[in-house]
Amino acid sequence: MSGFYVLDVPEFAAVVAAARQLDTCRVHAVRRGYIYVEFDGVVEIERAATNLSEAVWFGCLTGGLNGKIVSFDAERIKLAPTNEPVVFP
Amino acid sequence: MTTQPGELSLVLNGVDHTARPTWKLRETVEFYRDKLGLPLVHAITAKGWGRAKEQHADFIHFFFDAGKGSTIAFFYYIGTDQPPELMVPRGYMAMANHTAWRVETEQELLAWQKRLEVAGVQVSQSIKHEILESIYFRDPNHYPLEITRPLRAVERIDGMDAELTMAAALELADGGGWKNIEQLWRLKAKHVDAHQRSQETVS
Repeated sequence: MSGFYVLDVPEFAAVVAAARQLDTCRVHAVRRGYIYVEFDGVVEIERAATNLSEAVWFGCLTGGLNGKIVSFDAERIKLAPTNEPVVFP
Repeated sequence: MTTQPGELSLVLNGVDHTARPTWKLRETVEFYRDKLGLPLVHAITAKGWGRAKEQHADFIHFFFDAGKGSTIAFFYYIGTDQPPELMVPRGYMAMANHTAWRVETEQELLAWQKRLEVAGVQVSQSIKHEILESIYFRDPNHYPLEITRPLRAVERIDGMDAELTMAAALELADGGGWKNIEQLWRLKAKHVDAHQRSQETVS
């Protein structure tokens, strides 16, 4: 299942809160330090919904991504499922 | 590394000093002692290191107190010119080589920012980076400096996450073909998947 992990620390909590507001996301309970935000199809998260500074925003997928980045800029992240390999030959 | 029975566990007890060369003696003393207000606490003067083969210049090695027993130190090599390769290059990569001093509160951080501005030092706005809030500036040699305050304590969860990040990073670095952070985030998710499954096995 596609999704991304968010480390259960205060500075990234706003990402989880923003994901909870989206119909495209299902937020799992915290497990071993990480919250898994599962998504179907394409998901879009606006930075404005997180109120994160750019310094934290641009690292907000650091927990790990099961999926791929369609686009990622200062305003929004767009993610999608993928079967592509992590490193292309 | 496992400590053997009877063996002392080795730990470091913070920073004693860091050091770098300067070719701007007066500006360096005035910057650290007078503008930052760091006490000049020690100065070594010597006729080279006795290393005649290297034509080692005579020098002064001087130290400013940076708090909690640590100092920031400089070498001034008398009668030498700065080699081009020791000039601080422009661009963000050279800023990675920096010293960051700690303060404890936002008020202290803002007071340092004000002090630098009043002293005519160009200083950044404060920036929050996950667990730190920092201001950035440069010394007369353009060495990058930072004053930072903790936004929270570093906890076990941070170390656990760092281990998973670096495991994925080492795998990518060793494998070749690593181009971007997306690859790291995608591989790290596999490590976090495994980390979560390993707990299920245990419990």
